[in-house]
Amino acid sequence: MDKRPSMVTVVEAVNLKKTYMLGKVPVEALRGVNLKVEEGEFISILGPSGSGKSTLLNLLGALDKPTDGKVLIDDVDVSTLNDNELAGLRRKIGFVFQFFNLIPRFTALENVELSMAIGGLGRKERRRRAAELLGIVGLADRMNHKPTELSGGEQQRVAIARALANNPRFLLMDEPTGNIDSKNAYEIIQLIKRLNREKGVTIIMVTHDQQLAAEADRTAYMLDGLIVKETVNRA
Amino acid sequence: MNPKDIFSYAFSAIKLRKLRAGLTTLGIVIGIAAIVALLSITQGLQVAIASQLQRGFATDTLIVSVGRGFGMTDSGFSLLVNDTQTISQLENVTATVAVIQRIGYIKTPDGQVFPVTIVGVDFAVYKEIYSSTFVAEDGIIPLSPEENAVVVGKRVSDPWKNGTLRFRAGDAVEISWTNIAARPFRNESYIGNVVAVLQEVGGFTLGGPSDTSIYIPISKAQAFFRTDKCEMIVVKLKSDDKTTIESTSKAIRKLFVDQVTVTSATAVLNIISNVFSTIELFLAGIAAISLLVAGIGIMNIMLVSFLERTREIGILKALGMKNRTVLLIFLCEAAIIGLLGSIIGVGVGLGLAELGIRVYDIGGFGMYQGGQAGSINIVPVLTPQVLLGAIAFGLLVSLVFALYPAWRASRLKPVEALRYE
Repeated sequence: MDKRPSMVTVVEAVNLKKTYMLGKVPVEALRGVNLKVEEGEFISILGPSGSGKSTLLNLLGALDKPTDGKVLIDDVDVSTLNDNELAGLRRKIGFVFQFFNLIPRFTALENVELSMAIGGLGRKERRRRAAELLGIVGLADRMNHKPTELSGGEQQRVAIARALANNPRFLLMDEPTGNIDSKNAYEIIQLIKRLNREKGVTIIMVTHDQQLAAEADRTAYMLDGLIVKETVNRA
Repeated sequence: MNPKDIFSYAFSAIKLRKLRAGLTTLGIVIGIAAIVALLSITQGLQVAIASQLQRGFATDTLIVSVGRGFGMTDSGFSLLVNDTQTISQLENVTATVAVIQRIGYIKTPDGQVFPVTIVGVDFAVYKEIYSSTFVAEDGIIPLSPEENAVVVGKRVSDPWKNGTLRFRAGDAVEISWTNIAARPFRNESYIGNVVAVLQEVGGFTLGGPSDTSIYIPISKAQAFFRTDKCEMIVVKLKSDDKTTIESTSKAIRKLFVDQVTVTSATAVLNIISNVFSTIELFLAGIAAISLLVAGIGIMNIMLVSFLERTREIGILKALGMKNRTVLLIFLCEAAIIGLLGSIIGVGVGLGLAELGIRVYDIGGFGMYQGGQAGSINIVPVLTPQVLLGAIAFGLLVSLVFALYPAWRASRLKPVEALRYE
């Protein structure tokens, strides 16, 4: 599929600030970040550890609330939503974590099903869809294995399948290959690219790996709580 | 998330820690079992008492005995057999019978000797007063008996409840008694003739026939024990209403210048009934404490579980689970444990009650003994109220104590939960 950003803004950060209290010392993790992500885009956020990129990701994913500024998801200001509405909103966002965060007692299939169960989808339908998604990420023959029986790369594939389950508006990936050996990391990034290119999935990926960041269409460079530079890797 | 999915998620969490869940459940099982066992025994006891009442405990009787209660100095006053005559003249009194009682021994036809309560009464009047309990099962109770006539209680004849009879009507029985008033002490004895074996009376008796006593004519008792004094006089009234009982009691006390105690069978039954209610409440209270402990156990486990699963909760929230759903999952886990524990607890409690009754039966009260108390047949009673109440209570305790951990879990901030190691 030919890829053209549609110019529909999926998520936008406006002068986003976040201050943590470390004991009694305030720490400014974000100091006024502006970022716009269009539908179908694959953007990477690159920065050293402590630059505030994970904080940004948490705010974009409605997992946390900003101290100041706004996060707009599909033009809705996240800060105006209550806990219930936030939970509903999160179902439209797919999270992929560095440490996979699968539920250990569930099989790959059940883990993928879980996010759909939370969305209230019926058992039959979600099972069918979970199997389909696991097929897409290349785990058709590992569906009934538990996370402990899967390699890091396989676990991350399950996590990606889970993130896709509710047809999210965009995927948020926090160092998706950070905990995987290089061979599997390569396969994961190929999978991510394929999802973006072929399925048109919008992806926001945080990483400290320049090479990985360069795989995205666009890279935002973060330093000390600010986006200091943006580059377009390919048009 | 639909209820079925919430349940299966909660269940999978419990299944993961089988031992821990098992031990938590055990706490509830013990609490509920204790409540059910204690309540079903005390309720069984109350039913037994109630049936005693229905079988003609003679609620229209008063028992007149010497003494003014515990701890009073003996004034030297004694009731005489002849005092029945003065009492009979009182208003509302329809019959009176003097009762002489001694602990003595009987010798069976095959030579074994057993202690027994020997009771001297006027058979005819006694039968009139206790018409439903002073009834022969074997033989006939004579209204004007021979001097050596003996009526024996059911347990004296059949002490092991198994049909091995010591006495039948027509048997001879040697009755003996140690005269401790004489110097030197001496054993007095005579050969009696068993004319009748009583039906089983069961339970408590207050002046009335007992399964563990033998009955001889009053005149024989006076001669044999060399006394004109009696232990008590049973007075039958026209009715068992409160005013009759109170006014007659008062009249009798006045007659004997407050040297006697007048006890109403009805009052005693009420007292016993009240005592059992209190005991029941008390025991239930103790059992409830054990359930409380179980509840705290649940809370503890839930808090541990909540800490352990902080990250899991973070994941669930990142996947879009609502606070309410997290709360429900935790409550559902507690409910499963509570319900399971309660149901098992009811079963175990009933088993314990049965076992308790057996032990009680073997352990003394039920056995043949010299005193007034015969056996009382208790069958544990589990009313639907107790059954459902116990299960509901177990469930409630589980839920109440899970509320706080569940609430904390539901309030977790997703970012912090996900960061939790």
